Amino acid sequence: MFENILLPASSEFYPGKALERGASLAKIFGSRITVLYVMEEKALDNADRVSDAFRSYYEREETKSEVKKEHLSTADKIIFDSAKKFFEDKNISFDGKVAEGEFSDAIRNELDRDRYDLILTGYERGCLLHYRIIDNSRVPIWVESGSGNSTILAVCSNLAPNQKVPQMSITLARSLGWKLYMLYVVDTQDSVEVDENGNRSGTKSEKELTDAGEEFLGRMKELGIDTRLVTGSIERETVKAAREVGAGLVVVGREQKKNGVLGLPVKSIKKKLAEKCEYSILFIN
Amino acid sequence: MKLERKSKTDRKSFSGKDVFFIVLSFSVIALFLVLPQPSGLSRGGWLMTGILVMAIILWITTPIPIAVTGLLIMIMQPILGVEAAEDVFHSFGNRAVFFLIGVFIIAGAIEKHGLHRRMALKFLGVFEKSPRMFTLGIMISSASLSFIMPAHGVAALLLPIVASILIAMKVIPGQSNFGRVSMLAIAYGCSIGSLGTPIGGARNALTIGILANEGIRISFLEWMKYSMPVVVIAIPAVWLILQIAFPIEIRDISTARKEIEEQVRSMGKMGRREMTVSAILALTIVMWVFFSSPEYFGLAVIALLGGALLFFTGSISWEDVEKRVPWGIILLYGGAITLGVGMNDTGAGAWIANAMLNAAGSNVYMVILALIAFTILLTNVMSNVGAVAMVLPIGLGVASGISGISPLLASMTVALSGGLAFMLVISTPGNAITYTSGYFSTRDLLKAGTIANIACIGVVMLVAAVYWKNVLGL
Repeated sequence: MFENILLPASSEFYPGKALERGASLAKIFGSRITVLYVMEEKALDNADRVSDAFRSYYEREETKSEVKKEHLSTADKIIFDSAKKFFEDKNISFDGKVAEGEFSDAIRNELDRDRYDLILTGYERGCLLHYRIIDNSRVPIWVESGSGNSTILAVCSNLAPNQKVPQMSITLARSLGWKLYMLYVVDTQDSVEVDENGNRSGTKSEKELTDAGEEFLGRMKELGIDTRLVTGSIERETVKAAREVGAGLVVVGREQKKNGVLGLPVKSIKKKLAEKCEYSILFIN
Repeated sequence: MKLERKSKTDRKSFSGKDVFFIVLSFSVIALFLVLPQPSGLSRGGWLMTGILVMAIILWITTPIPIAVTGLLIMIMQPILGVEAAEDVFHSFGNRAVFFLIGVFIIAGAIEKHGLHRRMALKFLGVFEKSPRMFTLGIMISSASLSFIMPAHGVAALLLPIVASILIAMKVIPGQSNFGRVSMLAIAYGCSIGSLGTPIGGARNALTIGILANEGIRISFLEWMKYSMPVVVIAIPAVWLILQIAFPIEIRDISTARKEIEEQVRSMGKMGRREMTVSAILALTIVMWVFFSSPEYFGLAVIALLGGALLFFTGSISWEDVEKRVPWGIILLYGGAITLGVGMNDTGAGAWIANAMLNAAGSNVYMVILALIAFTILLTNVMSNVGAVAMVLPIGLGVASGISGISPLLASMTVALSGGLAFMLVISTPGNAITYTSGYFSTRDLLKAGTIANIACIGVVMLVAAVYWKNVLGL
């Protein structure tokens, strides 16, 4: 299922919990792990901007070069070294790479370069992932929180195609030996239906949306999975249900949200979930 | 390990937010032009207040470099008819500008020959007894070096030294309290040390310049006499706060010791040039201490003499000066000093001070406390030179309005409080530079910085109320 796992670390945070999760997934699925250390340019640019009047261009460049050297040394002597020991002890094949730039861009570039089945990261300093990568990545993104619970909450809704989430959640639950709960949210704040190609329909009545939900419940029942249908906002209901079932992992699909004022995209539901949740999240597009 | 590099453009274009703040700042000026001035304030004072608000917006949001805002302050005054162009540029020619130029030339020579590195390693070597003592050593080293060169340069120097020690100790960035305290000790040590002498920060030179315009001359030694108690009390207080906020988990410091020894060994013996720079630095400091009072040469002449000696001895070349003197600070300084002079000349500073006094009452100690808290708050969200430039004229206005506060007491209160920017990455270059290490988060900085700032409000208040006012009689 996950043959090649990309594990991005950043000069802004050390992905200790993600390393542990990577090791447990790699053992189950026989995966190869690539740790990508991203030297964040945001902090360097910020230091440059704050110092521009106080230090000469030459001095600022000198400092940047020193900081980059320090980051390379951190990547080599701390991150890769500990990852190597950590993975080699468990007979997991591992590779280390360094990139420079913005976290999400560096991940996107790496995805263009190699084939990966999973991106596994942590959110020690807030989720560094840009919401566009969460929305657009074709590779599942697992944001690890380090929760010890062994329960999966799979979330489906009228705003998503609901094809990959059930499939992957069932496989994951079986492979990990975790308990699976399925939730279907009829989002009344955005009353449209999203088809299997990810296209949004026109506005639908609550009854029509609930009927579609009931139909989904029937399909899940045939697969032997009990699904709960709730009405409300997808974020709120997900957070509530995750708390109720004590979720260790929440699986979310390709929710197609409406645009905001003047057609501008609003903050992603998924990004909001990642910031609010105390459990790990797996985004599947 | 493979490194992928991303191609970058040199100049970043303006974001929508940048454009918004630029438009907002000019809209404020337009609004002040259109609206009538309130009673008790001259037209010039009203427009000067508009320029002040424009500068506050631009210095806090930084859509353009802060030095360019300094330039804008200068050119807006003749454009709006507040001050004649000659007067604006006349205040820019203040001797403190030349003091800064001299200081940057000397600092450039120190950096070029790595003298500061040798001194930092010597300092650190003394404190390698235990992890806690080591972090105190970092703080004292940062503060001590900031007495003789600009604090941002010290932060940039100590960052790679301390980072290499932490890496050798396998201290994980963002996970270790020892890493957090070590890096925060650099940032806070530099900020506190920069208060100690006129060299540590451009705001000190700015204060000396503005006070000189008021007819009050301060020598190097006098500055130290006023500032050192704050430094001496604040260093252990802030260090203690760091120890409590982030209890250190490391017990063994032997790897750090080895790394320092290794770095000292790799530097080799002191070369001839390094010795020459040390001698000139020592001579300059001695002259500052004994001959910078008004009856002798003043700070600027000695700083430039030190700079000239470095050229005569071949310790520095013009190319080095071009590389290492941040001309932006001179422009920022120019804008800041003309802002202060303009606020004073037009009565805008006194008018704002009166409005504040009407609201806050005229209890001397409450006013001093308000000045400290206001300056510290402002210096955390904008450039500390800018914060001092804005609050100094108000402080001088306060001094003229209340009999218990002298201009010198008000100025020192503002100048020293202006250096205590602990809470945000954008507060000071020292914070931003050490943040790049990844060893602490913005949340760590806010947590420790808030407590440290509250403690330092108490320290400055204590020194102002007891030492300056009652012992020195300021």
